[in-house]
Amino acid sequence: MIINTPEPLALVPASPAGRAWRRFRDNKIGMVALGVVLLLALIGVVFFTLNHLGIPFPADPDATNLERKLLAPNAVNWLGTDNLGRDVLSRLLNGAHISLTVGFIAVFVSLFIGVTVGAVAGYFGKWVDNIIMRIVDAIMCFPTFFLILTAVALLGPSIINIVVVIGLVSWTGTARLVRAEFLTLRETSYVQATRALGQQAPRIIFRHILPNAAAPILVTAVLGVPDAILAEAGLSFLGFGVQPPQATWGNIIADGKTYILDAWWLILFPGLAILIAALSFYLAGDALRQAVETRSARQ
Amino acid sequence: MPRVRTLIVGIPLVLAAVTAVALWVVLRASADKKNEMFIGSIAEPATLNPIQAADSASSSVLGVIFNGLLKYDADLHVAGDLAERWTLSQRSTFFFATPENAMQAAANMETSLLDREKLHLRQYRVENNRLVLELSLPGTADSLALAKLFGAAQPQPVATLSIVAPKELGDVLSEFSSLTPSARIVRTWAIGNLGEIVFLGDSKVVQQHLQEFLTEKFGAEGLVVESVAAPTFLAEPEVTFHLREGVQWHDGTPFTARDVKFTYDAIMDDRVASPRKSDYELVLSVETPDDHTVRVVYRRPFSPALESWMMSILPAHLLAHTPPDQWPLTFNRAPVGTGPFKFSEWKTNQFVRVVRNEDYFRGRPHLDGIVFRVLPDPLTLRLAFETRQVDFWTADPWAVGSFKMDPRFSVFTSPSNSYNYIGWNLRRPMFQDLRVRQALAHAVNVEQMIRYVLYGYGTQSTGIFTPDMWFFNPHVRPLPFNPEKARELLDEAGWNLGPDGIRVKNGERFAFTLITNNGNAVRSDIATLVQADLKAVGIEVKVEMYEWAVFLKNFITKGEFDAMVLGWALGQGFDQFQIWHSSQTGPEQLNTVGYKNAKVDRLLEAVREEFDRKKIISLCGELQQRIYDDQPYLFLFVPEGTSVMWKDAFRVRRPGPDGQWIDEPVTMTKAGWSYYLEWFYRPEYAKGAAQP
Amino acid sequence: MTSFIIRRLLISVLLLFIISVISFFIITLTPGSPYPWGELNPKVSPEVKRVFREKFHLDRPLTEQYTLIMRDLFSGRLRSIKDERPVLEKIGERLPATLVLNLGALALSLSFGLMLGVYGARHAGRLPDVVTSVLAFTFIALPGFWISYLMAIVLVNWAAVPILGTHTIGVDFTNGLEVFLDGWWHIMLPASILAIGGIAVQSRFIRASMIDTLREDYIRTARAKGLDENAVFYRHALRNSIRPLLTGVGMLLPTLISGSVIIESIFAYPGMGRLGYEAVLERDYPTLVALNFVTAALVLGGNLLADLLYAVVDPRVRLE
Repeated sequence: MIINTPEPLALVPASPAGRAWRRFRDNKIGMVALGVVLLLALIGVVFFTLNHLGIPFPADPDATNLERKLLAPNAVNWLGTDNLGRDVLSRLLNGAHISLTVGFIAVFVSLFIGVTVGAVAGYFGKWVDNIIMRIVDAIMCFPTFFLILTAVALLGPSIINIVVVIGLVSWTGTARLVRAEFLTLRETSYVQATRALGQQAPRIIFRHILPNAAAPILVTAVLGVPDAILAEAGLSFLGFGVQPPQATWGNIIADGKTYILDAWWLILFPGLAILIAALSFYLAGDALRQAVETRSARQ
Repeated sequence: MPRVRTLIVGIPLVLAAVTAVALWVVLRASADKKNEMFIGSIAEPATLNPIQAADSASSSVLGVIFNGLLKYDADLHVAGDLAERWTLSQRSTFFFATPENAMQAAANMETSLLDREKLHLRQYRVENNRLVLELSLPGTADSLALAKLFGAAQPQPVATLSIVAPKELGDVLSEFSSLTPSARIVRTWAIGNLGEIVFLGDSKVVQQHLQEFLTEKFGAEGLVVESVAAPTFLAEPEVTFHLREGVQWHDGTPFTARDVKFTYDAIMDDRVASPRKSDYELVLSVETPDDHTVRVVYRRPFSPALESWMMSILPAHLLAHTPPDQWPLTFNRAPVGTGPFKFSEWKTNQFVRVVRNEDYFRGRPHLDGIVFRVLPDPLTLRLAFETRQVDFWTADPWAVGSFKMDPRFSVFTSPSNSYNYIGWNLRRPMFQDLRVRQALAHAVNVEQMIRYVLYGYGTQSTGIFTPDMWFFNPHVRPLPFNPEKARELLDEAGWNLGPDGIRVKNGERFAFTLITNNGNAVRSDIATLVQADLKAVGIEVKVEMYEWAVFLKNFITKGEFDAMVLGWALGQGFDQFQIWHSSQTGPEQLNTVGYKNAKVDRLLEAVREEFDRKKIISLCGELQQRIYDDQPYLFLFVPEGTSVMWKDAFRVRRPGPDGQWIDEPVTMTKAGWSYYLEWFYRPEYAKGAAQP
Repeated sequence: MTSFIIRRLLISVLLLFIISVISFFIITLTPGSPYPWGELNPKVSPEVKRVFREKFHLDRPLTEQYTLIMRDLFSGRLRSIKDERPVLEKIGERLPATLVLNLGALALSLSFGLMLGVYGARHAGRLPDVVTSVLAFTFIALPGFWISYLMAIVLVNWAAVPILGTHTIGVDFTNGLEVFLDGWWHIMLPASILAIGGIAVQSRFIRASMIDTLREDYIRTARAKGLDENAVFYRHALRNSIRPLLTGVGMLLPTLISGSVIIESIFAYPGMGRLGYEAVLERDYPTLVALNFVTAALVLGGNLLADLLYAVVDPRVRLE
């Protein structure tokens, strides 16, 4: 299908990426969301570095001070303290990089598997496709959450394991998407042409088809990050998440949930942090999606 | 097209409207309450069969449906329940080379016996080459004291072998004894694949003989033949229960001794796989001379045995004719007992409802029924309590203060029978030095822990027993918090401060991993605090948390850990053989830290054979002191449990000791606030309650 | 058609086999023991543990255990380790409750999603659309347990409404209508929290689908014919946008059956999610295997049914 470009060709910058960026720039909500995402990333990096240099700021996130436990937000502890007297603000700020890392790595794992599987299935089609897609179906039949629970119980709840497990169970969507893209793209004339020229399958897949499928994959990736952040929070809530004393937004809530009626700040602020992070990723991802597909070309 | 548009807006609106109406109905209806009690629990009962259940959710329901032969009274003394009274006795049999020797020994004893009463001797007789003593108190001490009076004619020692076979053992064991000279075999016993043989003579020879014989029959796999440390004479304690008459099961059938015998048989039945089996493994026989007498004979003195008869009794007339694998489908979901409340309905994962037993043998309870609700989330459980959907709440420590201040609530606080500890794995070289363990104890600020983790609701633990137990030793002094002393002790033990502030000895840093299970706020707080306290004296602690099942399976039961935070929830019993005896350090056994002390072993063995209250107290006292001195655990604290009740929800009207009725607010007894549960009534239904 | 069904059935059986093997081995390889009385109970002697292991075949090699579990599952004799009840009975108790709850959530997410999505599409690009978009993404981004807690606290503390379980316990309602409404209320609350994400997803989906459809040539034709904009929008565009929505519902089948641990815990709702969660914690292997198997079977069956229905509804689809 031919894409209807909204503007005269001459005004359009040369690369598709540049075109997408111009459209993204016009989306105010998307820009704000992107700003928040970048800010969160910055917070993650800065506080991670500070903590590792031994300059905890505003306070040491792991320093317990029992005399000052369960304090409501006040002049010293802006967001209050938890049951061991640790500063909630510091824990939130220092937990940012964990939550974000969990999101990014899980997405990377799921993309890696999803794209590979989807590409193989979509490119080769026929029985290869049939077998792979049946396996994907089988995996989709599993209740994901149990799979995560059993896997975390099996492997132990370290950050790496959790990230990998979340990644391992969330790739099926990507695989389906990539397969669909590939099924369409491999029939296009230029792919047929390269194949006629005798190029090898891996080269065709990586050089010719994948770049054309990059946009929807990127969108899935961005939208996958908050999914993983929320999944980690849910796991933490059940006690299967990243283990204390390492603060993550999820386990601040998990630790704090018992005190919820007596110390609302332990739940409210980390919850808001998750909400804001997830929301900005979703909004940025949505804006990205709008920018890369001017109009849905494939039905 | 207005029709579609109406639907698009209309359906959500209708859904919302119906929900609003439903809310109104619910709000209006929940105003009036029935004459029932509502108890909330995090977990659902696993099964309502008392001999198969082992979880606390099940036992709280079972407690109002069933009765045992015995129970604890309000002061935690053993009292009769289905048994009106009971007597203890023992038959000690000494074996001599010849009948003449036995006569001689009896005569010697008679002449030098000064105080029969003190040695609990009721009578004695000579049977062939045996001298049989009838004692009014079980145990070995009195018999041994009497044996000292036998003079020159010394009895032959008796040896005991215990057998675990891969298959049914009974016939094989009788075959073995028929092949052995009968004079040597004193007694054989077999139930299922467990067996015991008691004989005169050299245990080594017979053991080898038996081992060979059984290996031939069964093969070597799964076969254990062990010599048992038992008295050198035959000691057979006996408990006789005189059952209450006129007690009826909920279906109207009379309760008899047959039910007791059946319950014992069921527990021992492998098809039932009862977790309580080990309590009864020393029973030699259960006899029912008449409908209201049960006589239990034991194979050797085992004083914890008495309390095992607090076990709920099952109705034989309902269960004896169904195979146990059918019980989970029928009886275990709809039990019939003798207790103050009858089972009514069980909605899975929602609630179990019991209703009043009009014919309860202590009198008709006041409440119409009790509903045990399953509310899996701790927060919603508390919300349910605060909105009076359940009547009681086990308060979290940090919330106790505010409930105490609030006049609308009654708050019941009592020490629990549990304690938290840090177990040092004594298989690790770094923890083998007593000075190091003492230093660790001095370095951790337990008082601060109690103040901030338990909000003051707890006391420092001084060992393996808790202050509420009657055999607790109050003279054990806790090691005080003293980091200076800790540093000195560590220096003395050769652990000197290294360049990074962590102590080093022979090139090894004093760093270890402290593990605990996740999902337990108190334990993770303890771990965090200990980490900080030990850092201050130059010890590096890494904290790791695992899911409960993983924690146990991969680390604790294998003995593969450095140190762990755990707690013991103990019953009222003093027997801690499984936790501290040196024979219990293997995988899957409970002496998880690998503690071995020969003196402690002997004390643990002795206290199991002792029935005299005073002597139990002194043995337990020494036991507690010795183990505390060794510091295999860092004993932390005994938390207090707190229950909160709405003050106006219930009162108690119960029969007093002289037949009059006592009307009082709900109060705490040593056995908990719920001790008089069957006499609770709701003041608004006071008219319905029984009158004096 | 028949050959299609037969082939799909054969594939499904193969898949079920693979799923059962995988789930069995994942579950049994997980550390932990299924003893119902806990590992650290001094009363439980090694002898009792041995009897227990024998009773549930836990002393056999894994392959044999698997065969035994599958044999018992198919003959309906498979028992839970926790309470020795037949697992199918346990699942049968929970499945209806979960279905009702999730259908409630589905109804909410479809109806509210449709309303919001259509509203957004009608005002595409303008302020109402932007607001609904941001709102939708906020809904998706809300951590479910967090909003449940906040809602529970607000409802219970301020209004003292019973919200736990499937109905109000300890109150006798006078007539059937009240009982129904009581049940309705207890389902709608957790359902609405489950639906929050669904509403958002559906509304985004419908909005996008509507906007696409509105750009189709036949819509231009309809407009060119001078049809009323409302008629174009609701009659032509909406109808064609709803069809993909129905396929989307098919994808939701696993969630319909499997339930949500967190919501069910918070609202004390007796659903499949808690059954599975507790079985994981208790290492109740038979229950877990059966649960995975039944869920997978229902999902595969549901997918097949959805495909068949789709072929019936849409004559353009041919089943090869």
